[in-house]
Amino acid sequence: MNMIEAAAVHVRFGDRVVLESVDLAVAEGEFHGVMGPNGAGKTTFFNVLTGRVKPNRGRVLLAGEDVTGLSPHRIAAKGIARSFQIMTLFDEFSALDNVMMGLPEFRARSHDVARAAAGDSRFAAKSSEALAAVGLADKGDIRAKDLSYGDRRALEIAVALAQAPRVLCLDEPTSGLGSDGVQRLAALIARLKGRLTIVAIEHDMEFLFSLADRISVIHWGQVVARGTPHELQQNEWVRRSNLGKFA
Amino acid sequence: MAAPLLVLDDVRKVYTRGRVIRRPTFTLQANLSLDEPDIVGVVGPNGAGKTTLFEMMTGSNAPTSGRVLVAGTDIHGVKYRERDRLAIHYHQSYQVRRFRKRIPSAFLAPSPTRTPLVHLFDEPQFNLQDGYIGFMLDFFRKLRDEGRLVVLCMHPTAAWHLDILAEIAGRFLFVAGGGVTAVANFGALVADPRCRSYLGPEMTKAADAICHGAVHSST
Repeated sequence: MNMIEAAAVHVRFGDRVVLESVDLAVAEGEFHGVMGPNGAGKTTFFNVLTGRVKPNRGRVLLAGEDVTGLSPHRIAAKGIARSFQIMTLFDEFSALDNVMMGLPEFRARSHDVARAAAGDSRFAAKSSEALAAVGLADKGDIRAKDLSYGDRRALEIAVALAQAPRVLCLDEPTSGLGSDGVQRLAALIARLKGRLTIVAIEHDMEFLFSLADRISVIHWGQVVARGTPHELQQNEWVRRSNLGKFA
Repeated sequence: MAAPLLVLDDVRKVYTRGRVIRRPTFTLQANLSLDEPDIVGVVGPNGAGKTTLFEMMTGSNAPTSGRVLVAGTDIHGVKYRERDRLAIHYHQSYQVRRFRKRIPSAFLAPSPTRTPLVHLFDEPQFNLQDGYIGFMLDFFRKLRDEGRLVVLCMHPTAAWHLDILAEIAGRFLFVAGGGVTAVANFGALVADPRCRSYLGPEMTKAADAICHGAVHSST
């Protein structure tokens, strides 16, 4: 079964068509890359998947259940987690607290962040696990703002992972990372691959072509091409370009 | 028989200057019919009226006289927000011009279709490095094969731009001097002296080479 599916998603902002018609079906455990030029509609599409933008037409299904137009927190509760292109961490809080504050059961339990963060070990254990998964096991006590850029990006993923999502949406996870940061992220994704359904917008083609099971190319608010990295590289113009190098 | 996909029926656009005595500053005329799904390349010098032509085709800029019919429907008689359900204009955002909406939408007709029949790509950014060109060209073909009309405007400044036009377009429109000329194929386009003068010596040479079967390298 498809874990996440979008059918004929159409979004307009006033007079402007932002997504003409986007279809996507991602199987359980698949790592699906989304690429496309700037302004193609990739982030808007993510916003539709995660409930931040309600489509004018079309549907989003999570494991067969229609979640179109639900609020972001209801969609998150159903199991779609995301990281953002721009980081959204609480700078003054420790890495562990950041993860903990992302836990749905934590948020449901109390709004008194300080008390809750100091207390419940069950949440802490779960959060530590997520930190360990992204290689931040020994950095839980460090304030988010004191972490390196690469660690902050990893922390963002940990925040998403702690929610035990069924689908993880990553918006440009490699942006701003140096080459060793990208390698570390690639290793992390490789570990998560198969266990988690991942949809990732990414500009780093080498990253995407080496990791993705399939890739959708979005342009002009539509999927203009889709296939395995190998299939996409068969195109003659692609061979002539930098993309051809990753064959 | 189905109506032609796009008809410009004696379309004229006259831009004028002056409030009392209106002096025409620019006139664009077009009379053409694109009956079948196809990929139509559009070329012509700056200021020749390409943008005005596209705006009329996609319903944002009303012609002074004449009609624009998309699959038999007068696009300028359709509700403003539904016109892109007939013909959609993909342009750079800075190029978007807004026009007065004289008739309230309530008095206009709904679009008979939900997915655009005419797709107009206005100088899409092609970049040899990123490889998207191949996906874009395949997408144009897919749209055509699904029964749509693709209009692709390009401003050739490199030999490979001409490669793209020659490879992808089934026919051409040459826009110059306030008129629109339908041209049957790449060879006929390049043979037109007005087009040769627009392309300039270097691009003309490259275009001739394509006509004679030469293949360009990407560098």
